[in-house]
Amino acid sequence: MARREDVFISLSAGLTGYSPVRLIGTGMCDQYLAELGKVLSDGMVDEFLSAYARPPADGGCSVLKVLRDARWGPVARRVMILWYCGTWTALPESWHAVHGASSADTDHVVSAEAYQAGLQWVAAGAHPAGARQQGFGAWALAPEGV
Amino acid sequence: MTADMTHDVVVVGAGVAGSLIARRLTTEGLRVLVLEAGPATPSTFEGYLQHVQTFYAASGKGAESAWPPAIGAPQPDARDLRSDNGYFVQRGPLKYGSTYTRAQGGSTLHWLGVSLRMLPEDFELRSRYGRGRDWPLRYQALEPWYRQAEREIGVAADVADQTHHGIEFADGYDYPMRRIPPSYSDIVLAAAVDGMSVRLGEDEIRLKVRSYPAARNSIPRDGYRPVGAVDIRPDGLGRDLYLGERCAGNTSCTPICPIQAKYNAGKSLARANPAYLTVLARAVASKLHVDPVSGEVRGVEYQRYEDTSSPRHTVHTAHGRIYVLAAHAVENAKLMLASGLGGASGMLGRNLMDHPSIYGWGLAKAPLGPYRGPLSTSGIDDMRGGAFRARHAAFRVDIGNDGWRPTTGAPDTTVVDAVQTRGLYGADLRRYLESTLARQVRFSLNAEQLPSAANRVTIDPRYLDAMGNPRPVISYDIDDYTLAGMAEATRVYREVFSRAGIEDHTDPEHSTWFPEVPYAGGTMRYHGMGHFAGTHGMGNDPESSVVDVDQRSWEHRNLFLVGAGSFPTMGTSNPTLTMAALALRTADRLIAEMGRSSHRQQPYRREQGRSRDLSSGGYTEDRPPEGLGDRL
Ligand SMILES: Cc1cc2nc3c(=O)[nH]c(=O)nc-3n(C[C@H](O)[C@H](O)[C@H](O)COP(=O)(O)OP(=O)(O)OC[C@H]3O[C@@H](n4cnc5c(N)ncnc54)[C@H](O)[C@@H]3O)c2cc1C
Ligand code: SF4
Repeated sequence: MARREDVFISLSAGLTGYSPVRLIGTGMCDQYLAELGKVLSDGMVDEFLSAYARPPADGGCSVLKVLRDARWGPVARRVMILWYCGTWTALPESWHAVHGASSADTDHVVSAEAYQAGLQWVAAGAHPAGARQQGFGAWALAPEGV
Repeated sequence: MTADMTHDVVVVGAGVAGSLIARRLTTEGLRVLVLEAGPATPSTFEGYLQHVQTFYAASGKGAESAWPPAIGAPQPDARDLRSDNGYFVQRGPLKYGSTYTRAQGGSTLHWLGVSLRMLPEDFELRSRYGRGRDWPLRYQALEPWYRQAEREIGVAADVADQTHHGIEFADGYDYPMRRIPPSYSDIVLAAAVDGMSVRLGEDEIRLKVRSYPAARNSIPRDGYRPVGAVDIRPDGLGRDLYLGERCAGNTSCTPICPIQAKYNAGKSLARANPAYLTVLARAVASKLHVDPVSGEVRGVEYQRYEDTSSPRHTVHTAHGRIYVLAAHAVENAKLMLASGLGGASGMLGRNLMDHPSIYGWGLAKAPLGPYRGPLSTSGIDDMRGGAFRARHAAFRVDIGNDGWRPTTGAPDTTVVDAVQTRGLYGADLRRYLESTLARQVRFSLNAEQLPSAANRVTIDPRYLDAMGNPRPVISYDIDDYTLAGMAEATRVYREVFSRAGIEDHTDPEHSTWFPEVPYAGGTMRYHGMGHFAGTHGMGNDPESSVVDVDQRSWEHRNLFLVGAGSFPTMGTSNPTLTMAALALRTADRLIAEMGRSSHRQQPYRREQGRSRDLSSGGYTEDRPPEGLGDRL
């Protein structure tokens, strides 16, 4: 079986629209997997990853399969927010009622590094507020790609 | 209770007003004690960076997020506004929407730094337009101190951009630093907006996107050296870092500039003469003692705490010849009222003002490149003055460089909306965010508010903080004059959006929560600008003002109340530059007066060799100065 890091990156690339290289380059993979483990439990993370890694019976898209799954869809959407914002968003009560509760499942910023690594800043053509300064006057130039 | 040493001047509050005064007085050899309620802000750069980390890890990234308060010196927080269980006791009818920070450095730790002068006509609102009141001094009389303030706090701007609305500068003067480069979005908007006109009643007003003067380091003029990050190590000596001598575009001026390219009051304290300065942080002034016959202040009682997470404290009294309250408009009024010094005129605490503001936000046709650079570099300020002020409030349009962050909590909320509501993922999600975030734009429309006696700060023995000091009880309303200005501002921003091809997405139902006010059959949502003013207004008449033109209390002649609390009216400029000019003017008055009555005082400690002006030691005392500890 593939390493769980590889599965997680592959799934995350499908969810976020950023290439595996880009995601690995953020340096956040291990921290995010560990965070998921804290919120869900390591066992549940493995189930989540294998739900993605098993090719769908109908030969369709594995990312879509996860997103449509009643149990894993809400988790997958939170993984997208995690990569884009560096924050974890608590799962709804209804999810906990069926799949179990976790005291670590709260809205929170994962870490100072996670905040800075958010893909939202890349998507905006900008930089994380308060970090990775672009230099005097850079704001007067057209954003990347314009 | 113990009594301690005698100082020339006791200053309450290490914000911008107090720090500027302390710097100027100590430079002239007057011994100054500064009592600061909040925790000491680290004077080492490494210590300061802890606050940057606090900001990174904070879940709400509001103005206070880098500056957690001490139990002993609580402060208002924007997150408490809706639930109404914060530091302020809001009596209504409307909520007062602004906040401030009680830590050494005060609200300049998280301010934005926009530093417009007031207009000449702002000082004469009553004579010119029959509204509000006149100031006891005119623009021309304050102009020399505006120049000094621009140097002290380090303002970047070009005079050529700022001479309009009758603003005059002294011959040959220009700001100490060249203007901050306008943002790409300013440039694109200017191309669309400059020259268009809007009607305000009879007046036809031509619009122009104009660069804002800012207390933020830029390219210096004429030998001026920008003041960057403070780094005074435990050995008392300052290090020259060169860091922060230019703004580097960190895009987080509020709540914290990571490199201190933006002015904060700690820079002024660091440049005071350390031999004549004592700063006591974690010292909450709680009461003034007054001589019942002469009315003169005899001492300031203060509560000293060690632990920021506990209300435990000891009580002391500081003595000086002169007392200066620089604790912020609300806290100055609170301290006077708590000392039973409401005064005969009944004006103390009244006429509280702000700039109630409205947000407009939208999506441009092409990318404007937000989330980069100082949070605002330009505005449209053609509606700051004109004959319409006889009928409704003047206003100013701030152009943001931070997308929809202040209005909706973007970019995070844009991501959440795309994922959760729009159901996007993968390449579609990425494309959507790339296209949307880069086109976000927001305006903030700041209206002038007039003084009204009913808008006030009071105290009530039922509402105390953990150390037993009163919490501010605030009564606040926005009158029709201001509301009409806010309504006109709304109309104007829509015209500007439409001219610039910006699709209006303003939707207070799906945004950060803002208080609402009914108007003309509908409602408007407003936010505060942090521009508290007017609680101890200055005037020529002791019956209708609290302080005179020098900010000296009419009733207590060795007491000065400084800050925007002294403003009779506010105009439309952010208050800090004007407050700084007034503070420097007051310091000069004090020097002239105290210099006459005494010889140069012995310093608290030996003057140290100083490598350069700003790198001076002895900046903050956590403990009392050597040799004086036994008396504290
Ligand atoms: C988000 C935000 C953005 C802003 N942006 C701008 C801007 O762009 N331009 C502008 O001009 N203005 C701006 N302002 C306003 C500006 O920050 C204030 O006008 C200014 O800092 C007030 O200065 P001050 O010295 O009067 O009070 P403060 O800065 O509040 O300082 C008062 C000091 O006194 C201390 N203190 C309080 N009570 C006591 C006590 N009992 N005993 C001892 N010490 C006490 C406090 O801890 C504090 O250090 C902004 C405000 C906010 C909130
Ligand atoms: S843009 Fe960045 S570097 Fe410049 S003042 Fe703001 S926070 Fe400081």
